[in-house]
Amino acid sequence: MPDEPPPRRTRPIPRRTFIGRMGLAAFGGPALLEALAACAKSTPSSGSSTPGSTAAALTIASPSTPVTWPVHKDDLIADGLTPEKGATLQLYNYADYIGPHVVKAFEKKYAAYNVKVRVSTFNDTDEALTKIRTGKSGFDMYFPSYDQISKMVSASLIRPLNHSYIPNITNVWPQFSDPWYDGGWHYTVPYTVYTTGIGWRADRITADIGPMANPYDVFWDPAYKKRDAVIDDWHTAMAMVALRAGLTDINSTKPADIATIQTQMLDMQAKTDPKVTITMYNDLPAGQMDLAQMWSGDVVNAQYYLPKGVKPDVLAYWFPEDGKGMVDNDLMVILSQGKNPVLAHLFVNFMLDTKNALDNFGYIGYQPPQNSLSPAQTISDGYVPKNLGTAVVKQEWFTQGYRLLELPPDADAAWHEVWQRFKAGA
Amino acid sequence: MRARRRTSGRRSPLWPLLALPGAVWLALLFVAPLYVVLAIVFGGVDPVFRTPLPVYNPLQWDATQFTGVFSHIIGPNGYFGPALLRTAVYVGTASLLCLLVAYPVAYYTARLAGRHRRLLLALLIAPFWISYMMRMLAWVNLLQTDGLVNRALSLGGLYSVQIDWLNGRSLVVVLGLVYGYVPYMILPLYAGLDRLQPHMLEAARDLGAGRFDTFRRVTVPLSVPAVIAAVLLTCLPMLGDYFTSDLLSASPHTAMVGNLINNTVLTPGQTGQAGAFVLLVLVVSLVPMLFYVRSARSEGLAS
Repeated sequence: MPDEPPPRRTRPIPRRTFIGRMGLAAFGGPALLEALAACAKSTPSSGSSTPGSTAAALTIASPSTPVTWPVHKDDLIADGLTPEKGATLQLYNYADYIGPHVVKAFEKKYAAYNVKVRVSTFNDTDEALTKIRTGKSGFDMYFPSYDQISKMVSASLIRPLNHSYIPNITNVWPQFSDPWYDGGWHYTVPYTVYTTGIGWRADRITADIGPMANPYDVFWDPAYKKRDAVIDDWHTAMAMVALRAGLTDINSTKPADIATIQTQMLDMQAKTDPKVTITMYNDLPAGQMDLAQMWSGDVVNAQYYLPKGVKPDVLAYWFPEDGKGMVDNDLMVILSQGKNPVLAHLFVNFMLDTKNALDNFGYIGYQPPQNSLSPAQTISDGYVPKNLGTAVVKQEWFTQGYRLLELPPDADAAWHEVWQRFKAGA
Repeated sequence: MRARRRTSGRRSPLWPLLALPGAVWLALLFVAPLYVVLAIVFGGVDPVFRTPLPVYNPLQWDATQFTGVFSHIIGPNGYFGPALLRTAVYVGTASLLCLLVAYPVAYYTARLAGRHRRLLLALLIAPFWISYMMRMLAWVNLLQTDGLVNRALSLGGLYSVQIDWLNGRSLVVVLGLVYGYVPYMILPLYAGLDRLQPHMLEAARDLGAGRFDTFRRVTVPLSVPAVIAAVLLTCLPMLGDYFTSDLLSASPHTAMVGNLINNTVLTPGQTGQAGAFVLLVLVVSLVPMLFYVRSARSEGLAS
């Protein structure tokens, strides 16, 4: 162990916290009304004049078709402004996806300006975008994945970044200062990186999943019936099914591919009846499941949920060694509706500072793409247990791995229909 | 009937005024939202964000989303059908079990508890103080593989009990519903049984009916309206319930209509379908409600 172990919470609750999701509303009705209230603003004829509604077709970014979004100079804040005084910086994020002590440290650093930070949480980014589009929430910052960028830029929901406030961008992996989804990082900086693989209980499953010819096959193996789970996110779960079927285009718009995915999803359901949940970080260590599709950050967090006396070495994680699996990154963006753009820029820079990024890593379990953090160091510094070394995200995977992209509306509807069918448990 | 009409003719204008707050409340919080739901179901979808675009003019309504849902209920592509059928079975079974538990409890409290009835009643209301969700979360802990339930079944470690209660069992979801909604059943039953006229029962006894016969031929028939009210009161929230299945199972094989609504409502492009399910639940629950109102009214006239 190093001299200075990273600060840790005793019982971390990672992003996409279940209780938060459950608390959304007691019944479907109120949730529907909430959504309705949020979207009642726009009407079919409103065109692109009101913020949050667009009539133009969507530009979809992908590694093979990088996009540089246009920047209107008027939207940029001027250089060298002083931070807003007595302001409350409003962050909009997943539950427990930012370290409270890191937020406190920011308040302390800018105490001269009497800064307060308030964190509001959402359960999934679709819900978040709906709320942001009402334009009234006043959030300054948002932590989405890159699959919403085109929508947010085309509806002018996010503010271009004035780079002069963010010198710490040099601390992060260079590909993120010119990413394919936001050439020239006009709107985004990276927050975390993670992979999606398979987590399992090595003490309950004797087979070594890693060396198998096609490790994804385990979700179709009746030996694991009712012992497995997939992530409750349509694209993440269905992309795994696509990869198992040998389809490397996990954003396919071809009806034949989507049909293959549907057949395989229903086959998986018939053979192993997996749970569909996002609480594997709790359920796997608690022994409620033995095998689960998992995010690397969640398997890292799972060690804190093990029953007393059970050591982290019962946990195992697989992600393809050649990086040919799902890799993702989340972002920090500044919302145009926020009232504290200067503070928001300072906060972005603060979070890219190496020390703060590592402090945050110790709390959330999701790795920041910091240059100075080597894969070996994540283990030697105790951020990731040794047996979960496979959960450490490597920089080169971001050139070989598969990315979940936005889909054109028609394909998006087709994918969602398959997912809807799967979740209805027919 | 004639007498009724005559009195209504002399009604003071004050009485309709008293109904005003309730009517305003209903209009604002029920009728208006319901109209928004209709506007969403029969409205359009934003081409870019795929969020619903409500259409408020009924002349421009488009039934694509509505018929889309219904075309997926039966037939070769009817993948919603099993979930709807499952909902009916779960809710029916759970209501019946609730009744089996609640009726004796309510009967005892109302008729036999004597001086302890107030205390008993307070205890019966106690579960209302804890939110439904917290009670379900408690069951998640109890039913875990190493939880108290399995430990109790193992009789202190005598046997090894490793039942995976939470791996998608219909029985666990139904029992969860029973546990969650049984207090809602007990209270109206208690109120109904408590109102039974003692002289009716005494008359039955005087005429020679035994305890059991009195119960069977007087108490039970007289408590039917209370039973119907209690069953309706528990069925309706059960029809919208989704987190019992989410928490105690999480397998799509136990999904109910509430889960279908919850899954679609915030899914881009599917909000209208959630509205269609809401309408479906509304219609299905309105029919027994109307039946109840009708039977209650004819009973009121008869008495």
